[in-house]
Parts: sequence; structure tokens; C-alpha cells
Amino acid sequence: MVLDTNLPNGTPAAKYFNLEADYIFEIGLTPNRADAASHLGVVRDLRALLKRDYCLPSVDGFRPGSGRTIEVEVENSAACPRYSGVSIEGVTVGESPEWLKKRLQSIGLTPINNIVDITNFVLHELGQPLHAFDAGRIAGGKIIVKTLPGGTPFVTLDKQERRLRDNDLMICDGESSPMCIAGVFGGAGSGITESTTAVFLESACFSPESIRRTVQNHGLNTDASFRFARGTDPNGTVYALKRAALLICEVAGGRVASEVVDVYSQPVAHFEVKAGWKNIDRLIGKRLDRQEITGILQLLDIEIAGQSEEGLQLRVPPYRVDVQREADVVEEILRIYGYDNVEIPPHMGASFLADFPAVDKEKLQRNLTQMLAARGFFEIITNSLTKPGYSGKLGDARPGEDVEILNKLSEDLAVMRQSLLFSGLEVLAYNLNRRQKDLKLFEFGKIYYKKEGKYREHPRLALYLTGDVHAESWRSGGQPVQFHDLAQAVSQILYRTNAKNIETADATLPVFGYGLAYRLSNREVGQAGLLKADITRTLDIKVPVFYAELDWEYLVKAYSPRVVYQEVSRYPEVRRDLSLVLDRQVSFRDIETLARRQERKLLKQVNVFDVYEGQNIGAGKKSYSVSFILQDENQTLTDEVIDRTMQRLMSAYEKELGATIRK
Amino acid sequence: MLEKIRAIHQQVESIQIENGDQLEQFRSAYVGRKGVIADLFESLKTAPPEDRRAIGAELNNLKNLAQNKFTETRDRLETQQAQATQPAPVDLTLPGYPNEMGSMHPLSMVRARIVEIFERIGFNVADGPEIEDDWHNFTSLNFPPNHPAREMQDTFFIGKNPDMVLRTHTSSVQVRLMENGKPPFRAIMPGRVYRNEAISVRAHCVFHQVEGIYIDRNVSFMDLKQTLYHFSREMFGKDIRIRFRPSFFPFTEPSAEIDISCLICKGSGCNICKHSGWVEIGGSGMVDPNVLTNCGIDPEEFTGFAFGMGIERITNLLYQVRDLRLFTENDVRFLRQFGPVS
Repeated sequence: MVLDTNLPNGTPAAKYFNLEADYIFEIGLTPNRADAASHLGVVRDLRALLKRDYCLPSVDGFRPGSGRTIEVEVENSAACPRYSGVSIEGVTVGESPEWLKKRLQSIGLTPINNIVDITNFVLHELGQPLHAFDAGRIAGGKIIVKTLPGGTPFVTLDKQERRLRDNDLMICDGESSPMCIAGVFGGAGSGITESTTAVFLESACFSPESIRRTVQNHGLNTDASFRFARGTDPNGTVYALKRAALLICEVAGGRVASEVVDVYSQPVAHFEVKAGWKNIDRLIGKRLDRQEITGILQLLDIEIAGQSEEGLQLRVPPYRVDVQREADVVEEILRIYGYDNVEIPPHMGASFLADFPAVDKEKLQRNLTQMLAARGFFEIITNSLTKPGYSGKLGDARPGEDVEILNKLSEDLAVMRQSLLFSGLEVLAYNLNRRQKDLKLFEFGKIYYKKEGKYREHPRLALYLTGDVHAESWRSGGQPVQFHDLAQAVSQILYRTNAKNIETADATLPVFGYGLAYRLSNREVGQAGLLKADITRTLDIKVPVFYAELDWEYLVKAYSPRVVYQEVSRYPEVRRDLSLVLDRQVSFRDIETLARRQERKLLKQVNVFDVYEGQNIGAGKKSYSVSFILQDENQTLTDEVIDRTMQRLMSAYEKELGATIRK
Repeated sequence: MLEKIRAIHQQVESIQIENGDQLEQFRSAYVGRKGVIADLFESLKTAPPEDRRAIGAELNNLKNLAQNKFTETRDRLETQQAQATQPAPVDLTLPGYPNEMGSMHPLSMVRARIVEIFERIGFNVADGPEIEDDWHNFTSLNFPPNHPAREMQDTFFIGKNPDMVLRTHTSSVQVRLMENGKPPFRAIMPGRVYRNEAISVRAHCVFHQVEGIYIDRNVSFMDLKQTLYHFSREMFGKDIRIRFRPSFFPFTEPSAEIDISCLICKGSGCNICKHSGWVEIGGSGMVDPNVLTNCGIDPEEFTGFAFGMGIERITNLLYQVRDLRLFTENDVRFLRQFGPVS
């Protein structure tokens, strides 16, 4: 940009560029207020709020011409309740004057030429979309508003050829050739060009349903379709037409050449709305002054057709498509009265308190969350939309088919997760990449799948452990996570969900190198184990990760807060220890199960307090030191009974587990 | 013998006992069963009978003296010990075990707090599916097919004809609640919702909402304002101011957006509130009669209010989190900051 160097220092740029001071008010227009999508619409609302009148631009100067009138035929009056138009001749298409260009630019529009600019100007001024045709290109001098057979090709203004649907309302010429998609988009062959001298100006009202269908059919959204789809004022077409015609004559030098054509077979009536005082008061919560209410409504162009002890009979102008019921009227009253002028009562009132569930699952989850947080776990929340490839890694264990997003954002967010595993691993990877290597995480979240045509979603609880379970300190070095760190957390969760008599078996999920499955009353409630390296490598994780997924939905369902106090035994418990040398594959589960089978009544607890494997006991062997707590609820145990019991256990271990008892 | 007794008497009187060892020596030398005094009682048996009474009296005196001296000194030493500070055997400022506490996710904390506030005033918690049909997510809520109001919410579709969507709000749970019961209702619905929006600082395709509903005879706009004012005070503090702006939601009429005075600048204007002094926390309104009818409730008999707010939004305001992505990235350095208040 080259500026004039002769200007005095300090000359405001605005002055040099001849910019007027201007204010831009941005309004947040809600989709129900099509009537306010224009300067006039905003002014109408301001009148009610400020109680000041407004004046409309005069169209008194409009004089119909005596030239040939374009004939208009509307075949589908349901889709086009009103069609008005007028011809203007002798125009010179060119650049718009400065004032017009500036006004359009200030609201974000790009000036095109004086004719089109006026249609846009009036659209934003009055909210009435207009369309200008080159009158010379209307074959047969006639306009037919109709639908065309599906598949008819039509080239729109953007030079794209589109295939019409049989429910697209079209503006056609006298030979039924389409010129414009009604209320949505102009055609390439009928618009204003530099050589246009005669203009046919359309100011119509199309039904919102018809426009919405077409907008959807073609994915086209324009300033015009935006307004028609929400509802325009059928009674404002002729005024807008005259206003635009006068402006075109002013800026393009033409003259009105015809009468106004106006096809309006069935004038749209005002909405008749009844509003009872009782219901008005009930919805607001206080009684507003009746005169204040009628005053507000009248300022909003709502006619009071009748008033009684019962309420009001109202006539609402058709441009207020959002005011057709009593509740709508209350909103109008409140909007202007002021939401903030409805007092807040000083005391909390409620006519009714809702029942609480016997088992509050919110609270149960919160308690578990706090327990896990106190144990050093961080709660995570991950995206339930994920990559399609993940569920395949669950093998046959995947619960069902992926729920696919039809209009996905990206390939990475294309399906819903079937497991919490991978979204959690993504979090581990994210943190590991940021040198956070000791991680204990958990998530309460849903999994989703499709099975037998039905969509399913189930809450789960997942735990993730990697790195050191205790960080390095001056008392001890770091201790790498082991399976039993995870198992401890799992058993504490099961304890705090009152899940008793848990049985375990080997994990079956194919993601685990090794692990356990937990069963509650013969139903699996979760699995825990070490993830296979090929699973963790999916996320580029090179360290061991322990993972558990619990069926939170079932744990909540099975949870009972019931406790029945059991008399504490008055007789002492005794402890006896055994040192068993066993084959490596014998598990503690075998030892415990066998003990409980051998002694149902007296045996209260079995525990291992030492595990040894090494040269002293030979290859393939291990030594378990096991303690047994015995107690009789009804009498003090005698040595004889204790010895007999232990003897029975020892011989069972020797016989059934091949154990050697170390004396 | 008397002399011997007197000599020992003198010894007992003059002995200085300053610590536990000395006390123990004193005890075994004088008080114990094998001490000198015990010996003297033993030899009393062989003393001439005429002297026994006098010696016995002296001996008893001595015994009492030693015994008293022992108990008094023991008590004195014990008291001293109890009051004394001992030198620490190790550096006490060495850290205990490393801090191994985790944290709740901030969204869970805020969700729990919101639930708690509404539970206190008689709302219970309802839930429903995230994968919804068109009826519960849209049509029943007064979004007619093809209506522009549907464009307010960018929807993820998972099925077409019949349409299945990922719910765009938890209002669907309100419908299920009303369909499956009889008024009155007073419940909140926290949960996960979806919008087809690219993930950025200010938007996410997955987020969390709490909606609420109260349906009964004569529930009014005034009740709505009172409940939300109560909530705002409980959530953000007693000094909070609240305002309602006219708005549009298909499922409420009249509809209102809820603003609270900015927590950062207290209403004087700052970057967070875009210099308006107010920040939006959610939407609300009187349940639209069409929605009541769709759920089998007679709008002539019952009225009600409904409201909804984003949990992320409230969390951002409370903790000054500026980037929505932090909530799903789960950087432990982010999460750890909430540990002390979990």
C-alpha cells in the first residue's frame, strides 16, 4: 500500500480512507426467531423493550409501470403460498454506490453488482429474500412455480450441475425450464449479467418444510434458504418488493415497467391463541399486572382480540412463527418483562422429594474411586470413540460387533470401544512418552457393541499398572509391579463391593500372557493379568503392563449393603503352621480348596507366609509355609481335636497334592 | 546390730540416685529380697529376745525409709523421663514413604459435587443409554424431523432408517424417566454426550452433562430460578450472582440461558468473561407442553422445569482449566494437581 506522504503527521487513517464511525451489534439469534433475522426484526423487538416507536422506509413513491407483465403461475401453492414480482426496465448493471457497498461490507457481505446488492440489502433490512432474474432470459415471458421430474439436471449459479429431486420446488420459465431452485439457489442461466437491462424481481414466500427438504437434498445453505426454512412473513412480500424496486431504480437507473404480480391464493391468517390468566400466573410463579401483560403483547404486534376474567384471546401475526401456544405467549411476556425481574423467593421450596435407591450406585462408584485414589491410583476418563482396529485384537473375546459411526470425524474416532483396554493404553503411552514411568490408573467407563442387531452398552472398571509399584526411596529401591499388586487392588475392589466367595480360574482373554479370571456365584466378574507384548506394542509401549477389567455393572447389581451381625466367638482361635514341599505347578488355590473340603467347620482361615524355591529342595519343587486358623464357635478346641484335624490335612496334602511335610 | 542399722540408715539417706541403673542398684542392695535390709530382718531372729523390740522398730524404720526412697525416686525418674525430649535416632526430615496417593479425575469430582448439591434438595439420579433412537434424542423433545433446531447439535449417526444416534444431550434420559413413571418427578441425569465436532482447545466430540427436571402441579419459572440460584451458590460460593437470558431450546418454553457472575473478576470484566462480567453455565426453561404430551403427561395438569449444564464447563470455571483436551489426555501431572482435594 502506498500512502500519500504529504499528509500531516498524526492524520487518522480512518479519515484518510474516509471511513465512517460505525457500530456493529452482534446478536445471538436462536433458530426459532426467523422474524428477527433482519434489521426490521430487531427493531420490532427493541420497540417492545424500549417502548419507542419506529418508522419504516416509505414506498409511497412506487408507481407501477404499464409495460408487459410477466405472468406467474403457481402449481404448488402449499409449497409457495405467495409469489409477488415486478419488472424493471432500463437498468444499467454495474458497481454499487459507495454507501451501499459499505453497508453490505459492514455486515460481512461481498458486493457483487448494483442489482444483486439491492436484493441482499433488502434481505437484511426486512428479512424478505428476493431474487432478481434477467427478464430477457425468461422464455415465454412467464414464470411457473412447480416441481420437476426427479433427475432433471440443473446448473446452479456456482456452475455445478445438480440432479433435481421430484420434491424440489423450482422457479421455471414459460417452457418449464428450471431457472432457480425456489428460495435456495439461483441458476447459472437466468441471473443478472453485465448486459442485463430488464430485471424481473421476485419476492415470494415458500413453505419451510419444502425449503428444508431441498436444503437437505442438495446440502445447500444460503441466506435466503436460512430464512425460508425458518419461516418468513407472507404478508411482507409486496412491501419488500416495492422497497427493492425503488432502490434499484435509484442505483441502477431503471424504471418500474409493470404492475406488481401477486399470486396469493389463500392469505395466511393470524394465529389465534388463547391464554388463560391462571396458566400464565402458574407458569411464571407470580401474578403480573394485567395491563402490563396486554401492553407488552400489543407492543409485539400481538392483537388483543378479546379479554375476560378467564384470560386473553390473541391474534398473533404470521411472521411470529414461534408464537402459537399459551406457553409461547408466556415467553413473550417474560422476555419483555425481564427474566431477572421475577424475584427469587428467599426460602427453598419443593412440593416433592424424590425417592432414593436402596443401592446408590453413584455413591458406590464414588467410594471405590476414593479408595483407589487413596491407594495411589489416578482416575482417568477416556474417549469412547476409538480406532476400528482395536477390537480385532480382543480375538474371540470381543463382546460383539463394533458400533460404527456413519459420519465419523476421522478414522481414529470411527467406532465405539468394545473394551477399556486400548483407550487406557493410549493414556499410558501418552504419559510414558512424557517420562512418567510409574503409573497406576483406573477408569470407570462403558463398553459398546452390537449383538444380534441390538446395541449394547455396559459399565466396566479397568485398572492399569506399570513401572514401579513403590517409588524409589531411602528405605528401599523401586519395586517393579507384579501381578499380585494388581490382584490386591482387585480383591480390595471385590471386598468393597461385598462380593463374597470369589473363585478364580486361569484368565481366558487373549490379551493376557498370564492372569486370573474372577468368578462370583459362577459368573465371571473380571479378569486380571499381564498384557502380552504384542498388545502393548500396538501403542509402542515397551514395558510390562498389568491390566484388569471388571464387570462393574454386575458388581453393582450383585451388591447388597446388608450386614447381619454374627456373635463374636467366645472361644479362642488357634493357629497351626505346615511347611509343604510341592511340585511347582501345585497352586495355593489347590491347597486352600483342599483344606476347606477337608475341614468345613473349624477352619477359619488359610494363609501362606513364606514361599521358597531353590537348590535346597530340588528342581521343579517349591516350599510353601502355610498357616491355618482353627476355631470352634461352641467350645474351646482341645489338643486332641486340633491334632486330629491337622493330621487329616497333612495326609490329604500328601496323598492328593504329593506334598512332603517338612517337620 | 543397732549400729549397723544406723550406718545403713545413713547410707540410704545419703545415696544419690540419678538414673535407672542406680535405682536398680539401690533396689537390689537395700529394698530387694536379697538386699541388706532383708538380711538384717533375717538376723533379727538370732538377736537377743530383749533387744528384738528395739532393733525391730529401728529395722522397720529403715525398711520404710528405703522403700519410700525407692518409690519416690522411681516416680521422680519416671516423670523426668516422660517429660524429657530424646534426641532423634535418625534424620526426621527424611521423607516418609514417597507420596503414593492418586486422585479422582476433576470431572468426577465436579460431577459428584453437582450430584451432592441436588441430592440435598430432593433430586435423585437417573440414567439411560448413550446410544439412542431418534424419538428419545430428538422427536419426543420437540425437534421435528428436518427442523433447523436439529442443526444446533452436530449429531453422530450410527444407524439410518430407523435413525440411531449417539445422544447429543442427556435430555433423552428425561424422556425415558417420564415415559416410564408417573409425575411428580425430581431428578438429575449426569452422563456422557456426543457432538460431531473436531477435538480442539474449546470443543470435543465427547463431553459430560448434568441435566435436571422437576415436574409437578404448579412448578413455575420462579421455582426454576430459585433452584438454579441455590445450586450456583452451593457450587460457586455465597456471593455469586445469577442472571437468566431469553433463549431457545425446542424442549422448553419459555427458555433461558443461565449466567453467573465471573468467578475470576467478580463481575468487573476480564479475559475469561470476555469483559462482560458474566459467564454462561447452562440452559434451562419450562418443559414444553409438547414434550409433556409426548411423554404421556397432561400439560394442563402438570408443569415443570428442566435445565442442563456441561460438567467440563463448570470444571473449567472452577479450576481455571483452559484446554478441554486435558480432560481426556489424562496426563498424570495434570491429574495429580487434584489429588489433595479429591
